[in-house]
Amino acid sequence: MITIDQKKEGESIVEVEDIDEIDIDQMKDKELVVPGEILSEDLTNFNPGRGTTKQGNKIISLFVGLKVIRKNYINVIPLRGIYTPTEGDKVIGIVIDKNPVKWKLDINARYFGILKPSNTVMRAQRFKRGRPEREEKSTYKFNVGDVLIVKIMQADRLHHPELTVQGKYLGRRNSGKLIEIPPPKIPRVIGRKGSMINLLKNMTKCNIFVTQNGRIWIQGEDFEHETLLIDTIHKIEAEAHTSGLTDRIKEFIINEKTKRGIN
Amino acid sequence: MSLLIKDESIEKLIREDGKRLDGRDLLELRPIKMEVGVIPNANGSAKIEWGGNKIFAAVYGPREVHPRHDARPDRGILRTFYRMATFSVMERKRPAPSRREKEISMVIKNAIEPVLFLELYPDSAIEVFLEVISADGGSRCACTTVAALALADAGIPMRSLITSVAVGKANGKIILDCSGEEDKSGEADLPCAITWYNNQISLLQFDGIMNIEEFDESLDIIKESLEKIHQMQKEALKKKYLDIRNNIKSNKTKTISPNKIEEKIESDNLENQNGGERQ
Repeated sequence: MITIDQKKEGESIVEVEDIDEIDIDQMKDKELVVPGEILSEDLTNFNPGRGTTKQGNKIISLFVGLKVIRKNYINVIPLRGIYTPTEGDKVIGIVIDKNPVKWKLDINARYFGILKPSNTVMRAQRFKRGRPEREEKSTYKFNVGDVLIVKIMQADRLHHPELTVQGKYLGRRNSGKLIEIPPPKIPRVIGRKGSMINLLKNMTKCNIFVTQNGRIWIQGEDFEHETLLIDTIHKIEAEAHTSGLTDRIKEFIINEKTKRGIN
Repeated sequence: MSLLIKDESIEKLIREDGKRLDGRDLLELRPIKMEVGVIPNANGSAKIEWGGNKIFAAVYGPREVHPRHDARPDRGILRTFYRMATFSVMERKRPAPSRREKEISMVIKNAIEPVLFLELYPDSAIEVFLEVISADGGSRCACTTVAALALADAGIPMRSLITSVAVGKANGKIILDCSGEEDKSGEADLPCAITWYNNQISLLQFDGIMNIEEFDESLDIIKESLEKIHQMQKEALKKKYLDIRNNIKSNKTKTISPNKIEEKIESDNLENQNGGERQ
């Protein structure tokens, strides 16, 4: 009998990372800019930051987004866009194809990810009459359609990213729900130092796993709580560019709970 | 029974009172309406209603290129598909892509390419689909304008937007933004697009007869009117997000504290009941 080390039930799976240092909530509504809009003509005091470029003696925006000035850098936070795989990111992938040497995963990026069997090796113990006999290595077997949480081992602009399922929180998800939002809006779902995600977790009693490619895995106590959480995340998605979001979301959840009659 | 629509060229395109057949002044644009984010399944989308034109644009990508041999290892490729619906013109348009459609696709592609950073996306493709639901002259200009909106909505980095408009000549006078009839029976047609990051011409086609002075004058007129359309583009892109912000601000005064929700519901119910009795 082979047993797989499984996580204890009820363990909270919350990934809290400071992905987007630039916080939108702190101040009032930020200025909306469009591509080509001049952000500043003062190159002595300001440098072009993320989402901007220098054109002659002007700093111009590249995206439809929010203008944020940090120190002497002018940044533009885009409101929509595609996920670019980065080494070390944990992402949710869906198996789209398999062959004897690799699995192909849709990771919501330009390329599909590649998962090789050597990156799925797990340790398991062989038991005999209830006692561990010896340790054994084996690999997982995934099928088309499986939802996996994977880590990106290697990624660049030219190759398909290489993935692994060895690590904490990684592996197949057999239950729960998967929702998708635009990847640039993920930092708002996490909030500053995980404030928003902790709020969601505590108020809806759900396990949440937020990943950089715009996919969110959730599992709640019951259907009502899960539905409430999904509605809340879609509200965050729609209002990602506004200020005072955490307070508004808190109010929204309390109101919705009263309306729907759930505790 | 066939429809009795005469397809003859009209000789007089300017009325006696100095206005055009549709009542516009010589240098007046048709009414333009733009909207962003109209197709939920696309990465970015936009819609434009420009006089009698109605065009949808959808952007997908950057994504994998199929067939694979079209991919370039050093840069991404931009693909543009300009298609006219069968019902978009008076006489049914055959659905197969025609020579004209292929040419316009190519022209729009070449016009948009300079504003994109294609070198960031090697081995992949950005695809722009332009569906002309209703055509009435100047559809390539409208398509270029709306394609820029859809690309910006998709979150693809762009140096600037791109805007396009056409100038024509009818009865010896320069007219701005030709309609279908003016296109057919006019003396000249000059569609032009500008990229705003360097204020340079990205698309320029010419058909007809004009002298050099008229040509120079046309370019001045184009530049002036393009600035107006560029402003509309910016507003359309921002409107999608500003509407949500303004909604929140206006709702803020109406929010009720969670403790008072039950009281509010009860009082509302009572009011409704009373209202019913009175009737």
